Amino acid sequence: MHTAELPSYSDHSEVAVLYADHHGWLQGWLRRKLGNASDAADLAQDTFVRLLAARQPEVIVQPRAYLTRIAQNILVNWYQRQALERAYLDALAAMPEALAPSPEERLLILQTLHEIDAMLDALKPPARRAFLLSQIDGMKYEDIARELGVSLVTVKRYMQQGFRGCLALMA
Amino acid sequence: MSAGFDARVLDEAAEWLMRLHDSHATPADRQACERWQRADPAHAQAWARAELLMNKLGGLPSALAMPALGRPAHAGRRAAVGKLAALLAAVPAGWLAWQVADAQGWTAAHRTATGERRDLTLADGTRVTLNTASALDVRFDADQRLLLLHAGEILVATAPDTAAAHRPFRVATRQGLMQALGTRFTVRQDAGRTRLAVIEGAVRIRPATGSAPPVIRAGQQTVFTQRDVAPAAALDLAESAWTRGMLLADRMRLADFVAEVARYRPGLLVCDAAVAELRVSGAFPIDDTDRVLRMLVSTYAVEAVTRLRRRWVTLVAR
Repeated sequence: MHTAELPSYSDHSEVAVLYADHHGWLQGWLRRKLGNASDAADLAQDTFVRLLAARQPEVIVQPRAYLTRIAQNILVNWYQRQALERAYLDALAAMPEALAPSPEERLLILQTLHEIDAMLDALKPPARRAFLLSQIDGMKYEDIARELGVSLVTVKRYMQQGFRGCLALMA
Repeated sequence: MSAGFDARVLDEAAEWLMRLHDSHATPADRQACERWQRADPAHAQAWARAELLMNKLGGLPSALAMPALGRPAHAGRRAAVGKLAALLAAVPAGWLAWQVADAQGWTAAHRTATGERRDLTLADGTRVTLNTASALDVRFDADQRLLLLHAGEILVATAPDTAAAHRPFRVATRQGLMQALGTRFTVRQDAGRTRLAVIEGAVRIRPATGSAPPVIRAGQQTVFTQRDVAPAAALDLAESAWTRGMLLADRMRLADFVAEVARYRPGLLVCDAAVAELRVSGAFPIDDTDRVLRMLVSTYAVEAVTRLRRRWVTLVAR
C-alpha cells in the first residue's frame, strides 16, 4: 500500500493539518482567479469553513484537487452574490435617505434577498419576472399578463413554478 | 433541500399559493385550502413552509428588492439564451429514425473500450471527447450536424458551422434530442435516462415523447427520461471531472462510488452491503483503477477481496 504518498484527514483536528498544508496554496490559486488578494483570502476561508461544517468527520484523498473543486463551486456562487449585492447597493443609494432602512435592517434584507435569489435561480427570465411582479410589486395576474404579453394561463403557470421552486429550496 | 417532502405535496402547496394570490380568490378558495392543510400532516408541514416563504417575501421593500432580484443577472448569458431560443427551430424527429438502428452501438463508428478515453475532432471543427465504454455515430448532412450517442458519455465543444447555411448541432440519446449552439456540455447515456450538464452556452432538450422543451443554461445540469425532464439543478463540477481524468467524490456513498469506478474497470467491481453507506470524499484518478482501490483501502476501513486474477473485486469491511 502506498500510504505514504496518500495523506488523509479523518477528523476536525486533521482539517487543521489540511489547513496548514494547503491554505497558502489555495489562497494563491484563488488570487490568480480573482486578481484580488482580500477576496481570495475570504473565499479560501469560506472553503475551509465548508469543510469544517461537514456533518461528519471527513477523510479526503488528494486534498488539493478536492479543495479546488469546493473552491470553484464557492467561486461561482460568489460571482452571483456579488451581482446581487451591487444591484442592492445601487438601489439603496438611489433611495431617499428618509425612506432607507436602518443598517441592521439593510443586512437582514440583503440576507433574505440572497435566499430568494437562490430559490428563483432555476426559473426562466419571463417566469422570474412574473413572479417578482406579483410577489414584490403586488401586481394582479391580469396586469402581469398584459405587461409581459402572455396569456393569463401562462402567468398562473409561471407563478406555480415560482412557488414550487421556492418551496423545494427552503431549508 | 426538500428532504422529507413528497414532490406531489409541494406541487399542491405551490398550486394553492398560486390560487390564493389571484386577485379573484374567494373565501371559498381559502376554506378549500384550509381543508387541504387539515387533510394530511404532510400538507400542514408543507403549508408551514409556504407561510414562512410568504413572511420572507412580505418583508422585502419593493423599492430595494425589485432592482436587486430583477437585475439583468447573467445579462450576457440570458441574452445569449434568448438569441438561442429564436434560432432553435422545431426539432425534427431525427432520433426516431435512429431508434430503430442498432441500439447497442456495436456498429458505431467511434467506440472506446472500458477504461479508455479518446478525443475526436469532427469535420466542422467540433471537439468531442469519448469517456469509457462509449459508442458514438456522427451524421452530418445538409440540414444538421447530428451525434448519436449509443452508450457511455461524451464532452462536446461545438464549433461555429462553416457551411453556407447554418446547420443546427444536435445530440440524440435513447431518451431524446438535445440541441446546442456555441456550447460546451457533457451528455451521459445511463440506464433509462440521459444526464446533461452544460458548462458554456445553452442546450435545449426535446424528450422523445414529452412536450415543452426546456432550455438548460450554462451552469446547470439535469436528467431526463423519454417523457420527463427533471428541474435544472446547479452544475456540479464533479459531473465533468472525467474530462480531466478525475472522479470527484463529495461525501459520496461507497456503493455509488464503486458503481462509478466500475465504469472504468474491466471485470466486476462491487461492494458489500455492510459498507455501502460509508461516505467517500476526494479526487481519484480514473485511468488507474488499481490505484483508486489502493487509495480506498489505505484510507477507509475497507479491504478488497479479489478473485479471478483481480477481474472480480469485492470491497468488504475491514
